[in-house]
Amino acid sequence: MRSRSILGATLMVFGASCSSNDTTTVTPNPPAVVAAFTGNNQTTTVNATLVTPLTVKVTDAAGAAVAGVTVNWVVTSGGGSVTPATSTTDSNGRATTVFTLGSTVGTQTVNASVATIASPVTFAATGISNTPVIAITLVASVPTPTGATFDHDTYVRDGLAFASMWNAGMRIYDVGNGMAGGSPANPVLVGSIITSANGVAGGPQVHNSWWFHNPVTGQNKYLFIGQEGSGSIGSSSAGDIHIVDVSNLAAPVEVGFIHIAGAGVHNFWMDEANQVLYAAYYNAGVVKIDVSGALAGDMSSRITTQVKPGGAGNTYIWGVMLANGTLYATDMLSGFWALDPVTLATKGGGNNVPERYGSDQWVSGQYAYSGSWGTRATRGNAVKVWSLGANGAPTLMDSLIIANITTVSDVAVTPDGKMLVVTAEGGAGQGLYVFNRAVNPAKPVFVASYITPVGEHTGEIAIINGRTYVFAARDPGQQQMDIFDITGLVP
Amino acid sequence: MALGVGGGANALTGQARFGITPMAQGIVVIDRSGAVPGGGSLTEVRIVQPVVMGVGHAFGNTIGFTGTLNFEGVTMKGGELTPGAWGEGYVDRRHPHTTIHELNVTWNDVLGRFDGAGRLSITLGKGFVPFGTDDPMSRPFVRYPVNHHLSQLLERAVGIIQFDLARFTIEGSLFNGDEPTQPADLPLIRTDESTWRFGDSYSGRLTVRPVDGLELQGSLAHVHSPEARPGGGPDANKGSVSARWQKQTATGDQYAMAEYARTSELDGTFIYHTYLVEGLVHRGRARVSYRFESTERPEENRTVDPFRTMRPAVDNSILGISRWSLHTVHLAYDVVSPERRVELQPFVEATFGHVAKVGGGIFDPVTLYGTDRVTALNIGMMVGFGMRGHRMGRYGALASSMGGMDGMAGMKM
Repeated sequence: MRSRSILGATLMVFGASCSSNDTTTVTPNPPAVVAAFTGNNQTTTVNATLVTPLTVKVTDAAGAAVAGVTVNWVVTSGGGSVTPATSTTDSNGRATTVFTLGSTVGTQTVNASVATIASPVTFAATGISNTPVIAITLVASVPTPTGATFDHDTYVRDGLAFASMWNAGMRIYDVGNGMAGGSPANPVLVGSIITSANGVAGGPQVHNSWWFHNPVTGQNKYLFIGQEGSGSIGSSSAGDIHIVDVSNLAAPVEVGFIHIAGAGVHNFWMDEANQVLYAAYYNAGVVKIDVSGALAGDMSSRITTQVKPGGAGNTYIWGVMLANGTLYATDMLSGFWALDPVTLATKGGGNNVPERYGSDQWVSGQYAYSGSWGTRATRGNAVKVWSLGANGAPTLMDSLIIANITTVSDVAVTPDGKMLVVTAEGGAGQGLYVFNRAVNPAKPVFVASYITPVGEHTGEIAIINGRTYVFAARDPGQQQMDIFDITGLVP
Repeated sequence: MALGVGGGANALTGQARFGITPMAQGIVVIDRSGAVPGGGSLTEVRIVQPVVMGVGHAFGNTIGFTGTLNFEGVTMKGGELTPGAWGEGYVDRRHPHTTIHELNVTWNDVLGRFDGAGRLSITLGKGFVPFGTDDPMSRPFVRYPVNHHLSQLLERAVGIIQFDLARFTIEGSLFNGDEPTQPADLPLIRTDESTWRFGDSYSGRLTVRPVDGLELQGSLAHVHSPEARPGGGPDANKGSVSARWQKQTATGDQYAMAEYARTSELDGTFIYHTYLVEGLVHRGRARVSYRFESTERPEENRTVDPFRTMRPAVDNSILGISRWSLHTVHLAYDVVSPERRVELQPFVEATFGHVAKVGGGIFDPVTLYGTDRVTALNIGMMVGFGMRGHRMGRYGALASSMGGMDGMAGMKM
């Protein structure tokens, strides 16, 4: 940086001396018009900075750009601020400032003026409230049955909620499907299964699921269930993928399993069109599984590809997600990765969150969000915001910090891309958080939270009858499936 | 044993119809710990082990009863700085015990002369499970050893059957597996879903006294879901063996104890071991004690408060296992003559050693504490009344078998 400044200063001096000796210099016409160029009519939350800087263009009477003109920026309503307060037009006649809104909800304005031009130009921006207009509403809580110490995760599809309730197994609720008259406010149990322990200490430990809608066969036959056994985090794990036939939702039948020796499964994602199941397999890394055709018995041979993005001893994968033609993976140890979904070769990322342990992730458009967990050098109280490059590689943009927690256990974005939902654990701030990312997905803005006595471990977003719900799994001590309505928060 | 009130002479020999021996204790202590999450050290002042007790008998010695109120929930709600301590959601701080610490009744010598020289007794109520070694409160040191949750089971609703014959005492028990999570907790007898927790766990202990003063103990316990109160959490299988020796001589008292214990969780997925030796020499009014322990503990995810862990945990995994190898020296002096019931005992207690990572996992002591060296210092004053000689958690026939040993072995000795 220092050498660049010296070089710049030298060029300026050189340029100035050249100009002074140049007898062919053309003197520009005086500025005649100042007009808004970019940045007018933006919206963001009050007290936030507009994404696009305000830019004017100064021209002469002939419409030619005029350089070197001083532009004065003044906030005229709303109470915000501009930085800088004066700027000078460049060779294109443009001058720029950054506008941070004040606390006024509604229209806020900034005038840009040039001393020799009578009429200033006015920029308008709209400030929206950063406090919730409508709070998050808990519409139902479904307690775990006897023997279920945990409720870990919920998968929602076609109006059915698949609640992973640990040793009480998988419990399937009608929350709007119609088959049993259930709704989010009145979930109705339609079926359940306690999968086998498969020799894993601690029992079935039903942790997560994915209901496979196979577009090739047209069948919705299989439910994949993750079993989270015990391990020493960072080095060992246990637990299989259980394959359950849910052709009859009222009487699911376990038909097969997938096992990796010395490792246990965590979260899933599917490429249903290609009949591929991607599994985060903790110390075994990212695993790609062919789930085409009939599935029965030991399906471990269907594993086609397996990688440890961070390398041996530096891989402990929490979650995977396929988006935009890239498979994303969050590693507790080595950060956020972009992988080729066919070969699982690294496309970018990795070793990019050294201060925290990684947790879950979500990708929406050209941005991704990843959680953090526990306490490394720093508490896992951050949602990392990533921009995704043309090849899908992530670049860290920002961090959303949530106070009084140690773990961001789950992140998800609503299908319309407007809201970011986060679950949090480990302190007085634990619960459910909703952020608005409609205005600027690079800087989601906090909208509302629902603080719970114990943490919320996961949050699954589902649109049911036009309303937006979050199906959350509350932590042990109050283990239950919570169903929140966040419709009123969606802009 | 101290004199009773209300008509008894000796609570154990049962010569009067009714008797109760009141006891009380409290320790004012300055705790300094050099193993603090985030590095550095902390110094605090606490009142620890504040208890009021009564041990009594009725109908001669047919019925015995024990009641202990523990006020640590008031005096050390946030726990006592104790390097390596863990349990009940606390870590690197010893948790406060429940307010109703013991409350139980014993039917002594149930069979009378039908069992000849033997004595069969039954104890029912809240208290210590017959497993492992004496409670640390009954031993020479103020700071609890790291192995408290490996070597003792307490604060449970427990039914115990004890049989004592000659130099042998055998005990069996049923109890509730859940451990308390706060001082106000009572044992969970039955869950909201009508599942019995009382009786879901069991233990057995054999105590042998081959020669006077020497006591050998071996015990086993199965504890169902200790850390998830409704049940459904991992079980623990525990084992303990120990040798305890004590002797009163003309020049003073001597005590020594060695123990090994292990706890296996999740069918052996995690196994924690502890080795401990300790001893006391008592000359005149001066007491010198030394303890060494090597104890393993689970490392778990901590909350915003770095001295607390999530209870119950959200899954069955841990961050790793640490091993605490600690030397502790305790020096104390009886301001009041040991023959008096009132005790006033200033003390200094120092601990030093190190903590190491055992096996895999992300836990690293240097990252957490800034060092793997452990230091701690306690300075304080123990005030007691009638506690000397009481070995907490020994009921019925086992308590009776200690005849002739009191006066030395017990509360802060």
